[in-house]
Amino acid sequence: MTRLVLRPVAVLFLVSVAVFGATELLPSDAAQARSGGRASAAQEAALRAGLGLDRPAWERYASWAGGLLRGDAGRSLVTERPVSDILAERLPATLVLAGCALAVTVPLLLALAWLAGTAAHRDSRAAGLTGGLITGLAAVPQVVFAAVLAVLFAGLLRRLPPVSLLPAAGSPLAAPEILVLPALALAVPAAAYGAVLLGGGVADTLRRPHVTAAVARGVPRLRVAVRHVLPHLAAPAARVLALVAGGLLASTAVVETVFGYGGLGELLVGSIGTRDLPVVQAVAMLAAVTVLGGLLLADALAAATGTEDAR
Amino acid sequence: MKRLRAGAGVSALGLAVTALSACGSGDTAARPAGKTLRYVTVGAAAAATNDPHGGIPNQSDLVRFALMYDVLAKPRADGTTELRLATAITPDDKLTTWTVKLRTDAAFSDGRPVRAADVLFSLRRIHAKSAENFGRFTMFDVAGSKVVDDHTLELRTTAPYAEVPRALESITFVVPEGTTSFDKAPAGSGPYAMAGGNLQNTVLERKDKWWGGRPPTERVEIRAVIDPQARAQAVLSGQADVASSVNPATAKQARGNKAVKVVRRAGAVMYPFVMRLDREPFDDPRVREAIKLATDRQELLDKVFLGYGKVGDDLLTPNDPTSPTGIPPRTRDLSKAKELLRQAGHGGGLNLTLATTTSYPGMDTAATLFAKQLEPSGIRVKVVNEPPDTYWTKVFAKRDFYTGYFGGIPFLDVTRVSLLSSAPTNETAWKRPAWDKAYAEALATADPGRRKAALGELQRQIRDEGGYVVWATGDGLDLTSSRVADLPTGPGFESSFIERTRLTS
Repeated sequence: MTRLVLRPVAVLFLVSVAVFGATELLPSDAAQARSGGRASAAQEAALRAGLGLDRPAWERYASWAGGLLRGDAGRSLVTERPVSDILAERLPATLVLAGCALAVTVPLLLALAWLAGTAAHRDSRAAGLTGGLITGLAAVPQVVFAAVLAVLFAGLLRRLPPVSLLPAAGSPLAAPEILVLPALALAVPAAAYGAVLLGGGVADTLRRPHVTAAVARGVPRLRVAVRHVLPHLAAPAARVLALVAGGLLASTAVVETVFGYGGLGELLVGSIGTRDLPVVQAVAMLAAVTVLGGLLLADALAAATGTEDAR
Repeated sequence: MKRLRAGAGVSALGLAVTALSACGSGDTAARPAGKTLRYVTVGAAAAATNDPHGGIPNQSDLVRFALMYDVLAKPRADGTTELRLATAITPDDKLTTWTVKLRTDAAFSDGRPVRAADVLFSLRRIHAKSAENFGRFTMFDVAGSKVVDDHTLELRTTAPYAEVPRALESITFVVPEGTTSFDKAPAGSGPYAMAGGNLQNTVLERKDKWWGGRPPTERVEIRAVIDPQARAQAVLSGQADVASSVNPATAKQARGNKAVKVVRRAGAVMYPFVMRLDREPFDDPRVREAIKLATDRQELLDKVFLGYGKVGDDLLTPNDPTSPTGIPPRTRDLSKAKELLRQAGHGGGLNLTLATTTSYPGMDTAATLFAKQLEPSGIRVKVVNEPPDTYWTKVFAKRDFYTGYFGGIPFLDVTRVSLLSSAPTNETAWKRPAWDKAYAEALATADPGRRKAALGELQRQIRDEGGYVVWATGDGLDLTSSRVADLPTGPGFESSFIERTRLTS
């Protein structure tokens, strides 16, 4: 139980320190971003002091983390709006997009992993080919994939909008056609990436004595799959899915920009550019919490199915 | 195992398709045609703000403010002043005390009348945010300014300043006196009020009773989209009516397309090459002149702005009403450039490093092309491409040779931020007490004709002796559907005022 609580807290702490440290190392700061580089040194110093940026790093970190513990994510250093307001504007759109992408990713990932795993189990040539194809798919940058999809479906077939402008008021679900291309552009590379991670696990499970024994006994194959293979894959699959889900939430920037979809990813990239630490931290923590939540779920699954050793 | 694999694979794929169609099905929301102007413009989530008195880097925020709030005055497309909330702006003899009369029929959306106290409160806020808004109101003594009555105020300037009306035709957005929180948008007295959405995606509805008359369009939707290509696609695919600031390449492609048109706003951008007068070799006026003479301006205009613009003549604000006229244009003269360099002791050649970035489309192309143009005169230029997020703090106003940017701002603004000795970012190190003095004298000149001539002469000096190579001014390019009419055509601030823009069908 302590492990269940302490580990995630420790990981979140490390993530926040790492993000804070990384932004700290970047040249320039939010005061300079606000003045656009066109203020005098004295004005800039006053702005910096007003934002509390003249305090030592540990002190700023402590007051940010302290605020977070009280449920206060602070205010933007650039616009002074509450971070919670800024996130609330962008989060729903990204959640919907990531959710749709995940709905495509999960079955696709499992199918690809199964394909890779069984190929590896059968013979090495097929394994090399399938594995190579999937790895290749995983390596295609999102931006290329997004562009190809847009040209194909929006340009040539004229079936889908080339940009995904959110409806003026209300949820993106009010105009679901805008979600298809960005969701696919996110899902396919993510699924391929996850399949690369999970494929080995599938092959390993198929090689296990109880599986080969069952096959030798003449147990129907579907039953072998459901009874003997899938339970062993539940935990590793859940882990991979947790990683992929967290990744989807934090890596939507490119796809959002290409399709003009106003979500969290663009906010993250922009806030790193303006050195808006409280906003960057908030988005990073959200992604970290998603990954951790998924990993905990995977652990729970592993415990339930007794496949702790399957890692 | 083969059958097993195929079966699982197919059912999983089936699931994927089902999931996708669940995301992709449903009715397309009906769009009320003709009544709603869908306007897509530049805006980053990280900078979105409700505060109309700071830096306002997002055009999306500026357009929203211009619809929600009233300003004292605004520029017209031709650069002259249009009074809005103010009905008269008149000086005393010394040009240091100005009386601003306000219209009496303006009211905030909560019903309260707009009073002089609200105006002064807003002006003081703008002054307090000098560090963020390029010192927009530093010419005013806001503490010494005062409310005379409900619709009159008295503004003091720190020195004689004959161009107060032009100083007031900027972000003088009026919010109710005492507004301290900008977490939510304060009430405004402009032609539209916010009816829904958020800062990235705003729905505005017109007010029936605005002092300026009822706007022609019932609703305006403003969307902030960062990528110029995505903005253009929105119009090309019929998802939006206006895409502001598209790339020249997009405008060119749209030429044969009857469904769309391109609105050109002259003098909206320039990427001058900046030379620091206090560093070698640019401290030698012959070197600066040689570089200006070696530049092929037409080629730069054709390749960077694809011809959308006007060849530059090193005048920093050619679209300003005070810009001098009748100066013979500079033509490329390589032999004279070489001769000047030889006189300056660089007969054996000159090695320079020019910084550029990708903040605005074509800045990097401009630098590379410019470097190539200087080569025949014996100037070898190494171009370094710097990351855009630190360019304006680490390179701009610091390096001795780089690619700069001005976004269609008037001469008085350029002077304040970049030309006076006291300017915080005097990027060319143009520090000439005599020039500063002549500028102060011009602003103390009440006669408009004499003042214009004096300001024009100051601009000519910068052109001939300064450190700016202004090779062209590029047009602002807005892509609209063919049914959009009356989009603003001014270069800078004026283009944010879209309350008269309408749909013809």
